[in-house]
Amino acid sequence: MVDAQKDVPIKSAQVEALVVMKIVKHCSSSFPTTATGSIVGMDTNGVLEITNAFAFPTVEVTNTDSHQSNDASSLAAAAPRAKANIAYQSEMIRHLKEVNVDANNVGWYTSATMGNFINLSFIENQYHYQRENNKTVALVHDVSRSSQGALSLRAFKLSADFMTAYKEAKFTTESLQKSKLTFKDIIVEVPLIVHNSHLLTSFLHQIPALPDNPEIPLPTSLDDIRRDPARAPAHPSFDSLDLSIDPFLEKTCDLLLDSIESHYTDLNNHQYYQRQLTREQFKITQWQTKRKAENAARLAAKQQALPEDEWQRLFKLPQEPSRLEGMLNARQVEQYSKQVDGFTANITAKMFAVRGNLLPE
Amino acid sequence: MSRFFRGGDDSSTESSSDEEELYSGSEDEAEKKEAKAEDSSSEEDDDEAEEDESSDSDTGAQKKGLSRFLLDQDSSESEEEEIEGTTKVKSAKDKRHDELEATITVIQNGQKISDWGSIANELDKLNRQVVKLQDARGKAPKPYIKCVAELEDFMNETIAKQKVTPKKMNATNARGLNAVKQRIKKGNKDYQDQIDAFRKNSDDFMESDEEVAPAPKVPKVRFHEPTADEEGDDSGFAVVGKGGRVLEFTPESIFKHLRSIMESRGKKNTDRLEQIKIMEKLNKVADTPYQKIRVLMTLVSARFDLGSGGAASMPVEHWKAAEGELAALLRLLDTEKDHVVIENAEEWDDDEKAPTIAEGEKYLKIPGSIVSYIERLDDELTRSLQSIDPHTSEYIERLTDEGSLYNIIFQGLLYYEMLRKDASLEVPQESLNRIIQRRLDHVYFKPAQVVKILEENCWKEVPSNVNSVITPRTEQNDASHLINVLCNYLFENSDGIIRARAMLCQIYFLALHDEYYRARDMLLTSHLQENIANFDINSQILYNRTLVQVGLCAFRKGLVYDAQNTLQEICGSGRQKELLAQGVMMQRYSQVTPEQERLEKQRQLPFHMHINLELLECVYLTCSMLLEIPLLAQTGSSPDVKKRVISKTYRRMLEYHERQIFTGPPENTRDHVMQASKALAAGEWKKATEFIHNIKIWELMPNTDNIKSLLAKQIQEEGLRTYLFTYAPFYDTLSIATLSTMFELDTRKVSAVVSKMISHEELAAALDQVTETVIFRKGVELSRLQSLSLTLADKASALIETNERTLEQRTQGSTNAFSRKDGRGGQRGGGQRGGRGGARTGGNTQRQAGGTQFTGGALGAAVRG
Repeated sequence: MVDAQKDVPIKSAQVEALVVMKIVKHCSSSFPTTATGSIVGMDTNGVLEITNAFAFPTVEVTNTDSHQSNDASSLAAAAPRAKANIAYQSEMIRHLKEVNVDANNVGWYTSATMGNFINLSFIENQYHYQRENNKTVALVHDVSRSSQGALSLRAFKLSADFMTAYKEAKFTTESLQKSKLTFKDIIVEVPLIVHNSHLLTSFLHQIPALPDNPEIPLPTSLDDIRRDPARAPAHPSFDSLDLSIDPFLEKTCDLLLDSIESHYTDLNNHQYYQRQLTREQFKITQWQTKRKAENAARLAAKQQALPEDEWQRLFKLPQEPSRLEGMLNARQVEQYSKQVDGFTANITAKMFAVRGNLLPE
Repeated sequence: MSRFFRGGDDSSTESSSDEEELYSGSEDEAEKKEAKAEDSSSEEDDDEAEEDESSDSDTGAQKKGLSRFLLDQDSSESEEEEIEGTTKVKSAKDKRHDELEATITVIQNGQKISDWGSIANELDKLNRQVVKLQDARGKAPKPYIKCVAELEDFMNETIAKQKVTPKKMNATNARGLNAVKQRIKKGNKDYQDQIDAFRKNSDDFMESDEEVAPAPKVPKVRFHEPTADEEGDDSGFAVVGKGGRVLEFTPESIFKHLRSIMESRGKKNTDRLEQIKIMEKLNKVADTPYQKIRVLMTLVSARFDLGSGGAASMPVEHWKAAEGELAALLRLLDTEKDHVVIENAEEWDDDEKAPTIAEGEKYLKIPGSIVSYIERLDDELTRSLQSIDPHTSEYIERLTDEGSLYNIIFQGLLYYEMLRKDASLEVPQESLNRIIQRRLDHVYFKPAQVVKILEENCWKEVPSNVNSVITPRTEQNDASHLINVLCNYLFENSDGIIRARAMLCQIYFLALHDEYYRARDMLLTSHLQENIANFDINSQILYNRTLVQVGLCAFRKGLVYDAQNTLQEICGSGRQKELLAQGVMMQRYSQVTPEQERLEKQRQLPFHMHINLELLECVYLTCSMLLEIPLLAQTGSSPDVKKRVISKTYRRMLEYHERQIFTGPPENTRDHVMQASKALAAGEWKKATEFIHNIKIWELMPNTDNIKSLLAKQIQEEGLRTYLFTYAPFYDTLSIATLSTMFELDTRKVSAVVSKMISHEELAAALDQVTETVIFRKGVELSRLQSLSLTLADKASALIETNERTLEQRTQGSTNAFSRKDGRGGQRGGGQRGGRGGARTGGNTQRQAGGTQFTGGALGAAVRG
């Protein structure tokens, strides 16, 4: 029974509205700095139900370093795998168990700005969780995008291929070619469903809305009462019709440019390595031919040949820089591009709508 | 050590002077030479001396030599004891004998098995050992003689056998045999009579003489330290050569002395000072011009030898003496017209009689090179100046010698000109070029007034009837004319480096004298910047100096842009000191070998030739400020133009300055310029001007006020431009009158600046001449998003290009490698075909990529395929 359950991979994640609200509150309250927390729940039949969440305690950075804010952010980002927090997490889960909440750790959540969450820290955190339990996800809440109206909450997990590769910690060109791992295969997005309890749904339906005009004319007849326009509560907002493109695209462009910059840095590093490598190899071949000639001469003089594999001791080939950084960077660029793509598709549609039909004749 | 003996104290003088007479009188030529060589050879080389002695003893002078040594016996014995150690004299000797025996046994063993390699080695050892065991008469120990004689016999036998048998010896043995043959031939000569005695009757030889006590070793002659008074007072003293012989300075013996001195040149342990003293005396006794010339030349070169060890320069008094002697030599050559010193003359070997003018020849040719002497004299002065602290009076004193050096150069030039007049002498053009180059080197960096004084002085020195063809006396007053004449001469008559250097010197001089356009045009037409990297380092330094001087000249003319451009190359690197050879930079990361460091030190220019680095930096920074501040205002924060940087050094300084939390009042030049930049960027041009004018170092420039007013004007203009760039977005219209009051500029000037900006598309505006206003157009600038996306597009195409290049590299330019037509089936064949066809299609892609802005290139072809 247990084995059978384990074999079913997660197909989707179902997040309780409570969790969403908690995450949104936590993330937006600590906005410029990254916020992280733990999520609990359980998985049934390939659906990961996330039923509760709690934040990791933030460490007050009291020392006045030059890069203070940076520190706080990086500390928070590293929180899920910090020793103190692991203890805190298990303690917290024990307490939750006492109040009869699902007491299985199913992952963690983090905040992000404009989708800039793909970095080494994210990978390490998720690896930390997924190593213990394969059925864990990372929820990413994009604060900046959510502030524009639509909620942006996504669930990710590392792919199995990547997990094995990361375990070996080998990201050389050779190993990547062998395992056919590309930047697209690093993380897998899990579809997310926000689930409300029935009680909440019915409450939402009964939310009392403010009337349009403060003074409602008294019904004069029974028909009036019957015709009373019962407006749906929580009607859709008009935010989705917003046409402003500047801040979003600008910011994404900036981030994209940054990513490309870092791509170039990475490229330079690699080129440097390659140059170094060819130089060393040239030296080695030179040495080898010299040694061969020497040996031939010695053979002619009936002397013992010198060993030909000494170069392994004499020369040290440079270490190939890890390609992981580059891969993550590529994934990040893809992330940005998709963001722009999705956004512009929407905006373009709206633009056409404005031009075509919605303009008054 | 010295060869000066106290004549009265020592009776050896007599005997050795006898010997001298005996040598010079009765013995043949060769013998005499040998004796002389002995005189001059180094005194410390005891072994060698002993060998010489022993060879002497063979020819019958033995008795004399011995008696000479015996006279000194009491002193020498005590000395020997000191050397040998006080107690174990005997045992040490025994030990040596034992060693000798052992070596001989090894050699004998070697003979048995014909191992010539080891024999050769052991023979070397043996020869070394035997030198220590020789007795005073040069008699080698008996076992040695025996061994050597036997070995020789055996060797002759082997060689004879070798000729008969066809079998070859192996290489090491053959080599060993050859070595032994040579050694024996050489060594046995010394002991020939002993060996002969041994050959005659080996047993007798071994027995006889065995018990004779070894005669005292060759005693070291005790020398007295030379004292100053000895030199002046010759009456009570006689000059004694090595081995106690008196050196007599007669006109006849001059050549002999000279030859001995010449031969000892370059050898170790030669007492050069001693030789110089001898030569000074010789110079006094020399009476014919030929003798005088020879003595002077040898003397000068001996003086130069004093300075040739390492980095030390030659002592000042010797430099002065050399200078005086060179002058005397030139004077002498001037008066004695029939003696000429030229490089291609033949050496005169006969020491007995002076050469005479041959029949049909006009001149008596003496080998030598005046130009080399002059160059050396010049170099030595430079080296001495390098080593003196430039801020002392010593330096200035030393610098006064430059005048006399210049005179020498000038006289040398006259001399060569005279030589050139006679075509039969075949004086190479190069010598004349070199001497003119030296003259040029001394004047090109000096202001005209100084050059004039220098010229006047040197014309005073030469007699009034002499005149120069190249630089006539009548035109001595005009320095620029002088430079021009010298350079033109070099342009016409030389090539390669000297020509390039002449060009650079002239440009430098022109730039120094504010002739910017001529200097610039010359520099540009010379095309030196293309091939300067191929020249030697000293020329490159001269090039850098010239470049800097041209830049400074442009600045003095108020041409800010040109000045900045010219100076950029030198000052932008941050290594001015090294590039101008005005100091060694401490390099943090690279290791410099002592050898390199020494070379670098040697290249340093003497202080009086330096270009003021602080002034240079000040000029460079000021120019950079005037160009960069408007540029910064123009680019604002847009990302694509951010990369346009004129001077990285300046930007870095500005950033550093802006990062500072608290900026105090400016202290140095850099602070002044930085604060001025800040003020200028904020539109406070008056403050900027004040800051710039407060820089003290402007005082070093000629006509300071002129430059200051020029700078003020520049700052006003650039302030106006900066203002327009910064605040244009906030205006719809702007009256020119307002601008002109704001910047205190002429309205005409303001409209000129604005029009220029409009025409360069730096400002989106129009000039309304009726109402005298600038009307700005709105919405022309790109929005931030637009500029960002443009940048992004650029980046993307750059990325594509990189990818294409990588792909091409990987597939060796074959586009077919990625073609998918072949599918899986014919992979092997397809791959090969692709490889071969690659070369053709690869070239095609290249052309495509060059033709249009964006093509698919290799990737595109792959996708299309």
